[in-house]
Order: sequence, then structure tokens, then C-alpha cells
Amino acid sequence: MHIERAHSWKKLGVQCLLLALPTIFFAFVVLMKLNANFVILQNQWIYQGVYFSVGIMLSLVFYSWRFRFISTALVLALFYYIGYKILEQIAVGEFDMFFFSVQYLIFVFIFSIGWLVGFGFSRWRFFTVVWVLFLLAIEIIIVSKITTVTAGAIALGFIPVLLYTFYIIYTSELIRNLNEHQSSFRWYLTKRVSGFFGVIILIFAIIFYIFRKDFTNIESAWKKIESHYNDEHANSQRMTKVNRDGTLSNAGKMPLSGSLSKTKQLVFVAHLNNFFADGSTQNPLYFTADYYTTFDSASQTFATDTLRPFNDLFTPDPSQISLFFTKTDSTAIRNSLATKYRKVVEADVYKVALSPSDYLAPSTAFSVQPIPVPYEYTSQYTAAYHAKMWVSDLNSAYFVYNPAGNTMLEDFQRTRYDLLRQDSGYNGIDSAFLTYYTRMPQGKSYQQIRDLADTITSGDSTTIDKILAIRDYFLSKDEFGQPLFQYTDNPGEPGLPGANKLDYFLFTNRKGYCAYYAGATLFMLRALHIPSRIATGFLTVDRSSKNPGWYWFYEDQAHAWVQVFFKDYGWIDFDTTIPDVNTQQAPQPDGTPPLGSQKVSFVGDGTILKVDTVKKQLLLSINKILYKDKSFQTKQSPDIRLGIAFAKIFADTGEVNITALEQGMHITAASYDEKLSKIGFEKAADTAVSILSRLPQPVSIDEVKIIKEAKAAAPDKNTARSYLHGFNWLSILISIAIVALLLAILIILSPWLIWRFFHWRARKNLHFKQRAVLYLLNQMGYPRDFHSPEDFAQIIDKKFGTNLQLFTTVYQKEKYSHTPPGREQTEAAAATYKPFVKAVKAQIPWKKRVSLFLNFYHTLHFFIKNH
Amino acid sequence: MENEQPNIEQNTPDTPQSVQNIERLISNIEQVIKGKTKQIRLILTALIAGGHILMEDNPGTGKTVMAKTLAKSITGPQNGQALFKRIQFTPDLLPMDLIGSYIFDESNRDFIFKKGPLFCNVLLADEINRASPKVQSALLECMAEKQITVGETTFPLESLFFTMATQNPIEMEGTYPLPAAQLDRFYIKIHFGYVDDDTELQIYEQYLAIQHNQQAVQQVLSIEEILSLQKAAENVYIHPELLAAVRNIIAATRNNDEIILGASTRSGISFIKCLKAYALINARDYVTENDLQILTHPVLDHRILYRNREARAKLLYQILDNEMDRLSKLNLTRNDR
Repeated sequence: MHIERAHSWKKLGVQCLLLALPTIFFAFVVLMKLNANFVILQNQWIYQGVYFSVGIMLSLVFYSWRFRFISTALVLALFYYIGYKILEQIAVGEFDMFFFSVQYLIFVFIFSIGWLVGFGFSRWRFFTVVWVLFLLAIEIIIVSKITTVTAGAIALGFIPVLLYTFYIIYTSELIRNLNEHQSSFRWYLTKRVSGFFGVIILIFAIIFYIFRKDFTNIESAWKKIESHYNDEHANSQRMTKVNRDGTLSNAGKMPLSGSLSKTKQLVFVAHLNNFFADGSTQNPLYFTADYYTTFDSASQTFATDTLRPFNDLFTPDPSQISLFFTKTDSTAIRNSLATKYRKVVEADVYKVALSPSDYLAPSTAFSVQPIPVPYEYTSQYTAAYHAKMWVSDLNSAYFVYNPAGNTMLEDFQRTRYDLLRQDSGYNGIDSAFLTYYTRMPQGKSYQQIRDLADTITSGDSTTIDKILAIRDYFLSKDEFGQPLFQYTDNPGEPGLPGANKLDYFLFTNRKGYCAYYAGATLFMLRALHIPSRIATGFLTVDRSSKNPGWYWFYEDQAHAWVQVFFKDYGWIDFDTTIPDVNTQQAPQPDGTPPLGSQKVSFVGDGTILKVDTVKKQLLLSINKILYKDKSFQTKQSPDIRLGIAFAKIFADTGEVNITALEQGMHITAASYDEKLSKIGFEKAADTAVSILSRLPQPVSIDEVKIIKEAKAAAPDKNTARSYLHGFNWLSILISIAIVALLLAILIILSPWLIWRFFHWRARKNLHFKQRAVLYLLNQMGYPRDFHSPEDFAQIIDKKFGTNLQLFTTVYQKEKYSHTPPGREQTEAAAATYKPFVKAVKAQIPWKKRVSLFLNFYHTLHFFIKNH
Repeated sequence: MENEQPNIEQNTPDTPQSVQNIERLISNIEQVIKGKTKQIRLILTALIAGGHILMEDNPGTGKTVMAKTLAKSITGPQNGQALFKRIQFTPDLLPMDLIGSYIFDESNRDFIFKKGPLFCNVLLADEINRASPKVQSALLECMAEKQITVGETTFPLESLFFTMATQNPIEMEGTYPLPAAQLDRFYIKIHFGYVDDDTELQIYEQYLAIQHNQQAVQQVLSIEEILSLQKAAENVYIHPELLAAVRNIIAATRNNDEIILGASTRSGISFIKCLKAYALINARDYVTENDLQILTHPVLDHRILYRNREARAKLLYQILDNEMDRLSKLNLTRNDR
């Protein structure tokens, strides 16, 4: 059976290029938008775009033959059915089947749309109208889904569709009527289509204008909702913040806001070896991350200040310190200004969700030593460090909340209050220090707080009594015997924006969470000229005595409290946040503490020179070593071979594979091998080099900690993240723009490039000269069309004063005569070519020539007219 | 084709003379008929191809004058001019009125055949579509066979018998449109059309001189010469690609949805004859694309039955353009220079 073509291959090519390609591009964009809004599409817009493209292309090619639509569509449906049956055979299990069938359904749907569009473009004249109506409907659905209703967003949604509509209708009509020879038709079409779109745009503009009031109202309403939504989810409203890598840190500032959100996530586990004088009762201390010393009254936010005087905060980055090597900062001890009743306490912190670079410890910490997580616990903990603190004997987490009936604790409180009562005030303290730590905002609303502080503490003379008075005030009951203050995570906001929230808390609402209690306490203390600050960190809760000294820290234990400065005793924690009586806290399950660290015999720190993954050996250039708890530095960078066959390798994120090791990485390698400690050792005389020379090589290593990635290999976390979590829009847009630009330039230049090709080829013989002449004239707006060659030559000669007639006569003779024209004749004809081109160029001004060459329609007409 | 080459060369001395005569004939007619060079050439093409011509146009566009002048330009038996007859076709016309009839001769007491107007060199059949089909078919048969059979006697027509039929397109009442099969007998159908504005003004200015010219037309071509030109036209070389082009065009008219009836093989033969004649008129012994472009429409258009008016306006042009495009891209140059 012979099936005729509906249109030629050339027309098909033009359809693919001018109709299908832009449509595919547009479909990708639309699918991407749809994927962003509809879960069922499963975010596979690239695949879906490919389905669509394949559909439209196949269909365009298929229907360029005269196939009927309905019968072929039935065949297609049959194919779909067969495909589904095959899928049914392949898929195992109910879930698979469901998954596949949804996928297949999406494929069928999108492919069919592509197929239909291809058919429409190929055979159905008014399909473009239906198609753009369909697209408009989809765009309306998309716009209705966007969360931000602004004029810009709506315009951004509709303008591309309108532009595409304009383009596709115009182009399809143009392609359909390529046979039309008068340029007047193109004008007619352009006018009609432009007029149509002018009207549509006008209608849009009128609608926008008429409804502009409603529109702005809706827009502002949306903005309000949106800002509320954003606030709700902002990190700053939690006591902790989530870092980019998903770990937690304490927030850098603490706004007083309407509600607080908490999670039950385990952040870290710590062992604190601080016990009361009896030696067995745990004395928990709050783990400090930072201090809030400043307050911004405009945003009602407490914030940290790196420029605070006598900074006693030790802030090392444990992830950048080599395993087992210690970093100590004695200025923290000096700046703590504490001399009496101080002792060194040690803590081991095992991180779970806590950021690898965070360092938390009770005040005042001064030393950090990264330690390995014991092998059995590597899946639970990412990293660990050992910390040392200069801790006051008088400090304790117990203040507001005292376990009743514990005489030992009651004695402790009594003793420490007595001791602190003997405190000699703040004479002799640096006045800058005092000014800084007693600073508070001025104004009427803060005066109320001052007055309240004076009222509460009217009978007390010593600092500790004033603190106790404030604590008792928060715990006091009103005339009905009800608690005056309550704890709540959702205290709400005062009616007036920008109002003093502490006033609202103290005098009106009397409900709040830790930030309110700490803030109110701070200002009352500062009103009384007592140097104080807010500490942020984690509340240490003594939940069980099963594992003495071990504490579990969950995200909801992130906390803020007040630290008060006492001369000679330094900063002491006072938590005035009253217990939450309404919410019954479910006891948090405490796990098994990560006990069982092995004794380390050798630690080497340096840069990897070579990784041998086959022998599982490393060549390390040593910077420093730790041997028998003594650290040795070396500038000679000796090399040492390390066997890492049994080693566990850790990065900040947890255990990694041996392949993660790369040349140039800074690592720390530790060995628990007891043989190593048996070599001869003289503490005084030995150097790093001499110890290394005596070690049996390769040294068998048990743990490797990656301190720093190799510079070249270090991937930028930001780009990696953006790659994973959505596209880098700018780069995609730029690359699309560049490709489009290049394509546009190529298309724009192509008529001229074709002319250069024809011109170059024309040197060959009369035939190619004739082609060049016809092309040039066609491009200059003189297509031959229905003129016979000789008539055409006559017209052109009349117009340009050329000798095309001679050329044509000789060319025709050369082509069709049984006796070829004489050599002279041929040469004479060939000689007319160059003057001809010159004459045409001379007749048509340069600028007009450029514009004529830019006219792609001429070129199109030359190559595919009448098909 | 190779074999014909000697023939052509043999004819070559003959050709320039005849061609000159053709040019003289054309200029002769042009003195009377202004601004119709193309139509004149087409009419002569039909003449030299040995066919007949159908002219379709409104009255008063010079059809009759054209025919008369042509007849007068040819040397012939009647007063030194070719025999020119004109028949005005009407619905009541009978075949007898054309071919003649037996009349009883009183003196010889026998029936003698009185020849009708068909026995002439140039026949102008005016408004051919107003006659009954019976008459039309009688005429067309004579045109094809070049002989008339009445009863048992066959009378040959003149050796040069050229019919110029006219059709009036506007009067549709009381007409019998020619069936497609009969239209096929006409080699060429032309539209006379109105002359352009300048020529029209020229005609008005010089109508007296033109009328005078009409009276004093010179005889420039003998019937023998025309017959020899007809022979010479047979020997004009036509390139295989052009033959293929004719084949393609004819085939395209048959394989088109918009065409009910395509061109026949006879049409193709007529087409080739016309192409050759046209080449000869233009002083060439080979056919070119140019001839194809100019002749396709006059030769083929009336032989095709279109589905609708739009198709009539466009289709043949498109088919031709397609073919011209193909030819235009053919590189047939024999050596690269």
C-alpha cells in the first residue's frame, strides 16, 4: 500500500525546528512548574519533558504521511495496553506495581499530549488555538498554586504563555502559507495576529486596571500571611539553629517572641565529673555555648557581643584540632576574674546532632582535646572531645528547682548563700567592666522594671539576697493562692508591635519561657547595678543516678539563664526560669554512655603524601606526634608509613571509607598498639624524629581523623548543596540564554552565510553561478517564482541594468542543448556574474541589504517554496 | 536522441530562413494586434506544432482580428492569401453547416458535394460553446483527423488546417460547455485578456493606422513554409530531463486530491510538440526550462478538471514550480568552467 505524504520532508523539518523545538522548550518549563506544585509527578520533569519531546517528534514525523488520526490513535492505545500488560508481568509485588503503574500512567498521559500536539501541528490548522488555550488553563492552575500573589508573579506566569501563544500561532500560519507568494500576505498575517494580541493584552491591562484596588488588597493580605508564615518557621525562634549541614548549634541571638518551638532531638551526651563535697552526689552544671550581653530594644532581641570586656569564653573549633592534641587558652581563666573556691573539672562531650565545630562546656572552659568515639558507638556519635573547666565550688544547676528533702543539697545551698553574702561588693572592679555588664536600655517602660526591682529587693542588702528575692518573686503566689508567674512556650505577643515585651511579661501576661525569665532577671539585676549577663547553652538535667556524671542533652534543653558576677568568685549561674507545672514532661530515655576508651600509645599528625588503597598503607608527612602523653613538634616533616588495614576513619560527619583519604589531606592517626609503648623512651632527650625512627614501620593505626580536606578536592559545600536541593537558577538561565543567543545569531546570520557559500561555489561553473544569482535575488526580495527564466532575466536587467539575459540564454543552452555553446559564449556568460553581483550591491544600499539578509522568510521561501 | 543530431544539422540551413519568416510574421501581426506578443507566440506555437488553439475571452479583445491577420499573412490559394473562414456558432447550427452537404445539381442531375467552411486554411470558430454538442463533436473530429467523411466519401481537408476557436466565458446561459475529452483536442488554450493601459492608449491614438495596417497586411509566409516549419519543429532537441519534467508534471496532475481528472498521455505528446514548436519560434533547436515554464499553463490547464476554483487558481502553478525548482537545481553542465 502506498501512503502519500501529507507534506514534504522539508516542511517537516521546518515544523520541527520552528514549532516543535520552541514547544518542547516551553513544555519543559511548564512541566517543571507543574512538578513543583503536584506531588504525583514525583519531580521528574526532565523525564517528562523527554516523554513529551519524543511524543511530539514521533507524531510530527508519523503524521507527515497521510495517516488518519482516529485509527492510528486506536493503534497507539493498543500499544499502551500491551505496554501495561508487559509491565504487569515484570513488576513484582504490590508496591512495585503501584509505583510502576503511576509512572506508566504519567508517561502515557504526557506522551499522548505530545503525540496529539504533533498531530495538531502537522495536520490540524486551528490546533494551535486549542493548544494555547490548554496551556493557558494549565498556567492558571499553576498561578493559583503559587504562594505569593503579587502582580509580578502573575505577570511572570502569564507573559511567557502569551508570548508563546503569539509566536506559535503566527509561525504555524506562516508555515502553512509558505506557498503564498505575495509578501502582502505576510503583512496581512502579521497585522491580524498582532491585532489579536493587542486586544488580548489590552483586555488584561483593563482587567488589572479595573480590579487594581482589590488586587493590591489581596497582595498586601498575602504579604502579611507570608511574613507570618516565615516568622513561624524562622530559626531565630528556637533556642537552637539548624546549620547548613543539618547539625545543631545554639542560636546567635534570642528574640523575645510569641512562641517557642522545640524538638526532642538528642543533641549530645556528656560526662561531667563534678560532684558535691560528698564525692558521690552529682552536681550538674549548665553547658554554656555563648553569652548574650547586649539587648536591642527595637527588635526585643538579646545578642552576643564579641567585643565584651574580659571575655572568658573559650571558643575552639574541635573539628580543626588533631585527635588527642590539646588546645588550651589560659586567658579564659584569667578573664573569669575568679580566684576563690575554684577547681578544675573535666567533661567528655559526645556529639550527636551538635555541629562538629561547636564547643560546649560549663563555664569557665579553657581546654579542649578531641578524643575518638569508642568503636561500639561510632554509629551513634559523630565526634567527641574532652574539655577542662575552671569551675566554682559554689556553682550548681540547682537554684529555682531544688529536690525536696535532700539535706545535702539544702546544706550546700545554705553554705554557698552564706559564703556569697560575705561578698565584699564590687569595689576595685574595673569600671568599664561594671558599666558594660550593668548597661540597660533607658525609657519609661524600663523604669517600671527598675521600680519593680527596687520594690522586690527593698529589704535586701547583699547581691545574693537580691537574686533570691527576684527568684522568690517569680515563685510567689497572688492573693488567690495561685502562682503569679507561669511557664509557657507560647506567651503570645503584646497588642502593640514594638512594645516592651519584658514589661508585658512582668506586669500583664506573667507567662513566658526561659528567655523572658532570664531577660527580666537580667534587667532587674542590672537595675540594681549588679553585673550580670545571659548565658545560653543547654540545661543539664540530672535524671538518673544509674551512670553517675553522665547527662543527656536534647534539643528542648536548649536554654538561657543568668550569670551573676561576684568579686573573687567570678561568674555564677542562676536560673530563674520557673518550672513548667502545666506540662508533664515525659522522662527522656537515657541511653548507654559511650564508655570504654582505649589507652592511646601513639598519635601522629600530618599531611598525607600518598595513599595505597591496595596495601592499605599511608605515607604521612609528620608535623607533630604524641607519644606516651607527651607531644613533640617537628619542623623536619619526617615521613612515616602507616598501616591502616584495621583503622577506622572519621570525618566531621562520622565514619567514612578508606577511599575518602586523599593526597594532601591533613589527618591525625592514632594507634592503640601496646607494642609501640614498649620501645625505649627518654622523656627529656628524645625528639619526634628520634622516636619515629625507632617505631616499627608500618605503624599499625587504629583510628584516623580527617582534620582538613585536601585543598584541591575540597568541594564547596554551598554548591554541593544547591546542586542537591534544587537548581542553581541563575546558571541555568544564563546557559539557556547563551545557547538561545548563539542559536539566534546562527539563525540570523544563516541567510548571509548561505549566500557566502553560494558565492564561493559560484566560481565552479555556470550552474552554480545561476544558483548564486537566484539566491541573491531571492534574498534581495526578487524571487523568480512564476516568471520564466528569460522573463525573469529581462525584469532583473531592467531593474539593475545587468546582463542576466545573456547569462540565462547561454546557461540554458549549456544545460539543455545537444550542442554546447562555444567557449567564447560560455566565458562571456561567466564574465557577467561578477558585474551582476556588483550591480545588485550597488543598487541596494548597504543598510537595506543587511535588513534583507536578516529576513529569514526569504531564505525559507527559497528552499522550501511550494512544498 | 543521438541519432537525430545529423537531422538537425541537415535542417539547420533551413531553419534560419524559416525562423526569420516567423519573426516577420509576428511583427506583421503585431502591427495590427498591439501588446499581445505572448499570445501571438502561443498561437504560432499551436500552428507550428500542428494543433489548434482555443481562445477564451470577452468580446472585443481582438480575437477575430487576430485570426484574420494571421490568415492574411499567409500566402495561399485565395487571392494569394490563405483561405480564411469564420463561423459564428449558434445553438441552431447543424454539422452540415460546417462540413457542407450534397446538393442536387439540376444540370448534371446528380448530387454534388458543396464544401462547407471547414475546407479552409485558417478557421475562426467563434463562440464554440454556443453550438450544440453534435456540432462541436463534428468540428473536433475534423480537427483531429484532418478529413471529413460524408456518407461514403472521405474528403481530405487542406494540408494546412488551423482552427482558432473562441469561447465566451461570461455568457453561461444557452451554452454547451466543451467536454473535457474534446478540450483535449486543442493544443493550447489562451486567455486573450485586456491590454495594459499604455498599449490601450496607444491603440486609441493610432486606431486609424491600425485599421489601415489591417487592410494592408503583407504575406510573409507560404503554406509550404509553414508545413516545413512543422517538420523542422519535430526535429528540435529535447533534453531527457525536460522529458522527465513533462512526465512529472503530467503525473503530478493525476496524483492530486484537488484534481478530478488529470492530464492524459495525449496531452503529454501535445505538450512536447508545443515545447518543440515554441523553441523553434524562439530560434532555438533545443527546448529549455523557459519553454516549459511558459507553456505548461496554456497547454495543460484546460485539460485538467479541478475540484474547485481555488485549486484551479493555484495547483498547476505549484506543480510547475516544483518541477522548475528541481530543474533549477540540476547541474547539467558538461564541463566545469
